[in-house]
Amino acid sequence: MNQTLKVGISGVRGIVGESFTPQLAASFAQAFGTFAGRGPVLVGRDTRPSGPMFEQAVVAGLESVGCRPVLAGVLPTPTLLMLTPHLGARGAIAITASHNAAPWNALKFADRRGLFLSPARAEELFDLYHQRDFPLVPEPELPRADLCERGFDEHARRVAAFVDAPAIRRRRFRVVVDAVNGVGALFSAPLLRDVLGAEVRVLHGEPSGRFERGPEPVAENLRALGEAVVRDGADVGFAQDPDGDRLAMVSEMGEAIGEFYTLAFAIQQVLARGSRAPVVMTLSSSKTVEAAARAAGAGVIRTRIGEIHVSEAMLRAGAAVGGEDNGGVIVPAIHPCRDSFGAMAVILERLCSTGRTVSQLRDALPRYHLRREKFPAGASEAPERLRRLRRAYASLSPDLTDGVYVDFGTGWIHARRSNTEPVIRVSAEDVTPEAANARMADARAHLGFEL
Amino acid sequence: MKTLRLSGFGMRGFVGESLTPAAVMDYASAFATFLDGGRVLVGRDTRRSSPMIHAAALAGLLGAGCEVVDLGVCPAPIVQFSVPRRSAAGAIVITGGHHPMGWNAVLLIGPDGRPLDPQAGEAVLDVFHAGGFRRPPWDGLGSVREDASCGAEYFDALGRFLDVEAIRRAAFTILLDPVGGSGCAYLEPFARTVGARLVAVNAEPSGYLAREPEPRPRSARPLASIVGPLKGDAGFVFSSDMGRLALVTERGETPSEEYGFPLVAAHVLGRRIGPVVTNGCTTRTVDDVAAARGAPVIKTPVGQAYVMAALEDESGAIGGEGSGSAAVPAFSRAFDGFLMAGLVLEAMATARASLSDLLHALPRYHIVKRSVPCAPGAGYRALDAVREHAAALPGARIDTTDGLRIDRDDGWTHVRASRTEPIVRVISEAKDPAAAAARADELVRLLGQGT
Repeated sequence: MNQTLKVGISGVRGIVGESFTPQLAASFAQAFGTFAGRGPVLVGRDTRPSGPMFEQAVVAGLESVGCRPVLAGVLPTPTLLMLTPHLGARGAIAITASHNAAPWNALKFADRRGLFLSPARAEELFDLYHQRDFPLVPEPELPRADLCERGFDEHARRVAAFVDAPAIRRRRFRVVVDAVNGVGALFSAPLLRDVLGAEVRVLHGEPSGRFERGPEPVAENLRALGEAVVRDGADVGFAQDPDGDRLAMVSEMGEAIGEFYTLAFAIQQVLARGSRAPVVMTLSSSKTVEAAARAAGAGVIRTRIGEIHVSEAMLRAGAAVGGEDNGGVIVPAIHPCRDSFGAMAVILERLCSTGRTVSQLRDALPRYHLRREKFPAGASEAPERLRRLRRAYASLSPDLTDGVYVDFGTGWIHARRSNTEPVIRVSAEDVTPEAANARMADARAHLGFEL
Repeated sequence: MKTLRLSGFGMRGFVGESLTPAAVMDYASAFATFLDGGRVLVGRDTRRSSPMIHAAALAGLLGAGCEVVDLGVCPAPIVQFSVPRRSAAGAIVITGGHHPMGWNAVLLIGPDGRPLDPQAGEAVLDVFHAGGFRRPPWDGLGSVREDASCGAEYFDALGRFLDVEAIRRAAFTILLDPVGGSGCAYLEPFARTVGARLVAVNAEPSGYLAREPEPRPRSARPLASIVGPLKGDAGFVFSSDMGRLALVTERGETPSEEYGFPLVAAHVLGRRIGPVVTNGCTTRTVDDVAAARGAPVIKTPVGQAYVMAALEDESGAIGGEGSGSAAVPAFSRAFDGFLMAGLVLEAMATARASLSDLLHALPRYHIVKRSVPCAPGAGYRALDAVREHAAALPGARIDTTDGLRIDRDDGWTHVRASRTEPIVRVISEAKDPAAAAARADELVRLLGQGT
């Protein structure tokens, strides 16, 4: 069954040429233009080869309903989001399938605040799309597209203003960045070298969208980065995803330490500046991340999975730092969205102000063992499988905010339907590897997936 | 009002109503599917809607895997000229041509530069309606490359084709009015090619039409009023795609647009005798000019595609239409306003005659054109009334190749439903002006009863 088209709060995504076509993109752009109202709408894309095609489709769709496309070209998703209010745009469309494999692409929609659409607003957009009754403007009122050049300058300026850039520059860090042939290939080296004074080597630095490693910054995809860090004697290896919102680290020993440490280190560093506001993270964040916040005396708010839920909760709580523990660090002082560039600067500041290495910082945090797996489950079967899991742990009163979350005291499991793929994602964590494995095996059995 | 006019070689429609990004994208995808990918040139005019339609066409072509060579703002005849020289499989021209503001069109060009052959066009329409477009995966999508050198190559070739020595010696002053369309940036190169002093009127590519875009005596008036004071030798009034023109003489005369083609034909037949191709409702002056030089005349349905197809089949020397267009296969396979203007200047220079003298040397008829508005579909019903009328006329020859043509010894009348607008067109030509008008009025009256 062709289930590759996915329309949800994270936008519309599908496989290029199969389920996701320029026709579909133009219709969604028309719906978004209708939703946003006449005025400028920022359009950016990652480096995927299908990006220019979808950009043309989006331009045609926006113009036809009277929105002026402001073309930012290839730009990180966080940069596009922060430029949206900065330039007074009515919204933004990011053409990126983020960490999905190369055959995928997607449109993501942001409001005038530069935040992804909330579920309620996304529903309005989809209603407009399904009604298909777009208010086409007559020829004399058609807008002309504009260009937004050097959009990253504003991003770099905000990052430099947030961290202690002179101190970081003095340390003259040696850094390897794995840009996964994405937007980082264009912007990471300039930020690290020119703003943060580091000596930089870039891996997978051709911005071709033909990913030379798995696009997610997870440990199994970072072997080349680990080797390069050891060979260069670098202080740290940074791994981005194709659109530059997520960041993982490789230690000075060449070890991929797990994406959740990015958020943990960032929380420690930002809280060290004295914020007492709560830290916001998703339901399935590692207890290591929570410990980083609690140790600094901050409260913790847990939200549903999805960047917009974290961003909104952070704005409500006045949080100084938060994010998703898949490597998505959010610092609202830069912009309330996941940002690998801001994260790199904050991590370097952490190394700089503590004088410790990445492995030392990792070892100073309580150690949990996190297992993440995903199991194929279509829309028709997933709910029943989750119900079975919930019934199995009924005595522990599972948290049903988002899927099923069961807290066992020392450890926890979390199972939920993915927003982006026809799978159930399961996380399990505990204090020993064996206990974590056992939790995962239990969850898997209750969900009815065979070993 | 029906505002979408679809054929196998063009999609015309009204912006904001029927000519939507989705329709254009599907049409471009259908063309690309028919071509099975390959290189496609794209050029557009300056209308306000053309960038939007251009974006939609690019998305459709790229999604079907075409290698797009983007010529930007480029006159239709220069795009057509460039197709074989760029070894392209075809081209798309986006232009409202002679249509008023609000209209625009996507025109399909075949590999030799002609409008897509009518038979090939039927295949494109079948693909368009069936909707199974070519959709390569992400790594097989098309690419875009800009090419700004086609104009220079075109004028080089035009300079070699024309007797520019003779034209330059004559040191003409010419007035050119491209109606703010795709010709604006190409007037200077043309004037340089023919060594003429240039007066450019309505040469600001603002996207708005400064006058009625159909070249005819009424739209030639601004030029006619200044040609005397500026001591101009000739004025040329173009359509916004540079495919058609009307003439203004050095005395400020604005002859019917019908005379451009026979005037050029008379000159071209002086270079080489060969078949003359025209449609069934062009002035008899063409027949007389051809007969005087012993050239056969071949009649086709109305439209560049039909005329060019017959030129190809019959190895014609020149083809054209009474709407003010001409093509010379020895140069290119397009209705070409620059070429026509160049040939008119060459005729003047080599005959050492003024434009007015050349015009008055042509056998003259009186031609009356009328149009009757009619609801979509009603045009064919209205024609039935005219058919009955014609059958009762003594000594009339009836031809139904395209609409209905009634030939009498002293003139002819022609009635047909427009392919591009919701009107029925009536043309009446006779030696005697009163007879021409009376016959036209009679047909208009009959059509009025039919609708």
